[in-house]
Amino acid sequence: MTSSTLESLDTRSEPTGQIALVDLLDRLLGTGVVLAGDVVISLAGVDLVQVRLHALVTTVRAEMAAAGRGVA
Amino acid sequence: MTETAAYLYAIARGVDPDRLAGTPGLDGEPLRVVDHRGLVAVVSEVDLADYGEEGLRRNLEDLAWLEQVARGHDDVVQRVAALGPVTPLRLATICLDDDGVRARLDEWYDALQAALDRVQGRQEWSVKAYADDRPAAAPAEEPATTGAGAGAAYLQRKKASTLQRASAQDRALELAERVHHALAGRSVASRRLQPQDPRLTGHEGTMTLNGAYLVEEAEAGAFAMEADELAAAHPEARIEVHGPWPPYSFATLDPT
Repeated sequence: MTSSTLESLDTRSEPTGQIALVDLLDRLLGTGVVLAGDVVISLAGVDLVQVRLHALVTTVRAEMAAAGRGVA
Repeated sequence: MTETAAYLYAIARGVDPDRLAGTPGLDGEPLRVVDHRGLVAVVSEVDLADYGEEGLRRNLEDLAWLEQVARGHDDVVQRVAALGPVTPLRLATICLDDDGVRARLDEWYDALQAALDRVQGRQEWSVKAYADDRPAAAPAEEPATTGAGAGAAYLQRKKASTLQRASAQDRALELAERVHHALAGRSVASRRLQPQDPRLTGHEGTMTLNGAYLVEEAEAGAFAMEADELAAAHPEARIEVHGPWPPYSFATLDPT
């Protein structure tokens, strides 16, 4: 897993000080304060964490496929 | 004229809004604050075409959009965290107007104050441990046997290698436990987040620890040193330390 297409998600490739995207999403979607806002109330049926994983995995797979490597 | 709403980044205390000038919000919109009963909500205007229910459903599936918003959200939270205690809000917390913001501050007033008390003067650190999944040196090949003995020898080798892998896994989990315990002892609070999927992070091996630690600012040096020592003492696991970050994992609202 050293493909450059994955580097944006790779914690080791983050410049110091910047939080890796996957860590940031863990926190912005999975932990912390949940204040139901006006819009988020109507989004309550959507599991945001699932949305996140779906979006990330889909993108990673698409990139790997584009790079000509199959995904098991 | 497009319809806008207030995107909430964080609730803080004792933050001078003038010091937020110069930090852009999402889509370059200026930050402003809704100051209510001593609590400060940091917000900016967003277009409901993108941040309304329909827009969000569409956009949250788009990694580039999600990343841009997550980074923009974090930039603001980091800026606010430098000015005072902060409770970051979940991504895409949106109120239609400032009255809506004030209503949330009223509704959660005590819990927000308690959360701000809990994180004041403290920072979040992330420590992760990874176990090497590769099997240890392959068991020595035994001399070829024939007849009934061959099958039994094969099964025996198979069993031995399964046991070896299982005990390596047990040791890795036990080490993660010990690392977490040691670091939790240096923290005001700690929690173990879900291990991350290697498909998302690109890491090798199994993540055995995805720990978040709330550490006093004054203790940060000692905490990082302890984590580095643990990493040096256990070369069989890879241990990564990141921080300090705003207290994302600890600014929770307890319903009390």
